[in-house]
Amino acid sequence: MAVAGAPRSRRRRRPFPVGTIARVLLLGFFLIFVLWPIYWMFNTSIKPSDDYLAIPPVWFPDEPTIVHYTAALFTYRGLQGLINSLIVSSAATALSALLGTLMAYSLARFNTGGPHLSFWVLSQRFLPPIAIVLPIFLIYRSIGIYDTHIGLILAYTVFTLPVTVWMMFAYFRQMPRSMEDAALVDGCTRWQAFWKVAVPLAAPGIVAAAVFAFIACWTEFFFALLLTSRDAFTLPTVFRAFIGFQGAQYGEAAALSIVSLGPSIILGVLAQRHLVRGLTLGAVRG
Amino acid sequence: MAETLATFRQMPLRHPRPRTAGFSAWCDRHFKWLLVAPAVVLILALSIYPLMFSLVVSFINYDFQVPGHAFVGLKNFERVVFDPVARWSLVLTALLSFSCVAIEFLLGLAIAMAMVKSFRGRGLVMSILIVPLFISPVIVGQAWTLLLQRPFGPTNYLLTQLLGQEVTISWLTERPWIYISLIIADVWQWTPFMFVILLAGLTSIPPNLYEAAELDGVDGWQAFTAITLPHLGPMILLAITFRLLDAIRLFDTIFIMTGGGPGTQTYTASYYLYTVGFTQFHLSQATAGSWLFLIFTAAVVTFLVRRLLKAEVA
Repeated sequence: MAVAGAPRSRRRRRPFPVGTIARVLLLGFFLIFVLWPIYWMFNTSIKPSDDYLAIPPVWFPDEPTIVHYTAALFTYRGLQGLINSLIVSSAATALSALLGTLMAYSLARFNTGGPHLSFWVLSQRFLPPIAIVLPIFLIYRSIGIYDTHIGLILAYTVFTLPVTVWMMFAYFRQMPRSMEDAALVDGCTRWQAFWKVAVPLAAPGIVAAAVFAFIACWTEFFFALLLTSRDAFTLPTVFRAFIGFQGAQYGEAAALSIVSLGPSIILGVLAQRHLVRGLTLGAVRG
Repeated sequence: MAETLATFRQMPLRHPRPRTAGFSAWCDRHFKWLLVAPAVVLILALSIYPLMFSLVVSFINYDFQVPGHAFVGLKNFERVVFDPVARWSLVLTALLSFSCVAIEFLLGLAIAMAMVKSFRGRGLVMSILIVPLFISPVIVGQAWTLLLQRPFGPTNYLLTQLLGQEVTISWLTERPWIYISLIIADVWQWTPFMFVILLAGLTSIPPNLYEAAELDGVDGWQAFTAITLPHLGPMILLAITFRLLDAIRLFDTIFIMTGGGPGTQTYTASYYLYTVGFTQFHLSQATAGSWLFLIFTAAVVTFLVRRLLKAEVA
């Protein structure tokens, strides 16, 4: 991997490329640091349980096995968690993208509520989840949506709204409004100008916002831990089963991790062009 | 064309149009409020209402172990404030989040500087470096548990080989290693966050500034302090603010890697409130504590965001 970080050789002669060497070393070291835990997880997931205690450690198993994958998915209900995660994350993402786009359009085009409304939405992003999850838990139990998909979907929608609203807010603001004006002049209602003109134009922004909302839901643990139990549990909460078993379930935990990594990493890397906007809620254009 | 549009734009937008019935005219008039309504209602229902509800719960007795809902005044708050575990958890939260963010910032800045110039394979390196951002913190905790756990993890073996002497560190059960393990996991996951934002800042600095500095015979370090840092200032503040506000919620990796242990030594504020509320079911004590934590967070937010806004204006 360090080779990939090697800089192009320069024609100009320099005394001694200290800076270049330091750069390659730093990037090489950090690449190994990033990749090592992922590799070890993969290695553990295909390693027969007998190899766990071997010294020196088994760097790559002679006889790879998929037994941990089947155990994690079926014995530990990982498959159910995977399905629940897909349902909850997709629904919450769709809802959040829809409501977020509606609100962002209003904020960007009509300056609705002045800066107060937009900052109020932003402040939700910095609210510690522990402060609202306890009362939500009590409320959900009393209205009967504790441990249901719909309960978690609503919670995740609220949890991702600041991201979608602010990303779309920034997107609409840098989008020229002349097309919508033209539509209004042609006799469209405001709704038509929004839905038939602005939304299609903003589609790339909406997709980017949705990707980050999906990743946030897919990797979320805290709400899922406290608002679900036996039925609507999501993939990250399945890991509870592997705590405190003194190593017996490491293969299963690693296998489940690898299964869970796929969707969010693929989406994230595909959307990396929008990463800076996603991480800063649209504040910085990358 | 542009002029025509400009004229149209100045025309009163509510002038009567054909084919607009009563209802859709009403919708058109209140359009901007109708658009924000669904999101605002949802936030009110699932964030503001719960907050108010928890404020009420903080002042009454709401405990699965004690029957009745009598008004108890500030007793729930007192219980939290005089709980040594709660105080330690707040101190630990501050220490851990500060160390994590400091390390992530320095490392992220160094990597961003190394990545500014283009080189072969830069795109691939970039794609690999951002991967941790898309992984659930639970899985990050799990991965580092696999690496650090004694005797299964390979870390002690590797260190033994590297240093040439026997290393037997209990990474997950002994102080201070347990804190170092938690920091390593956090740094692994969130250094890319700093790096990505700082890189965006670095690439937006006009390169001719550096060329001018080179002509003036300014050395690298001076260019760094005189050009890079001042231009990067707002971006640094933004990255640190966002990261710090997430770091003080640290919960997931604690849950997976230590379970708060040994004893209560790795209780962070979130973890403390979780155990009080959800394993001991002292719900009103937990809500009182989370309100105190909320006020603490709000203080940090106000302090940092004020500076952020000021820096952006300047």
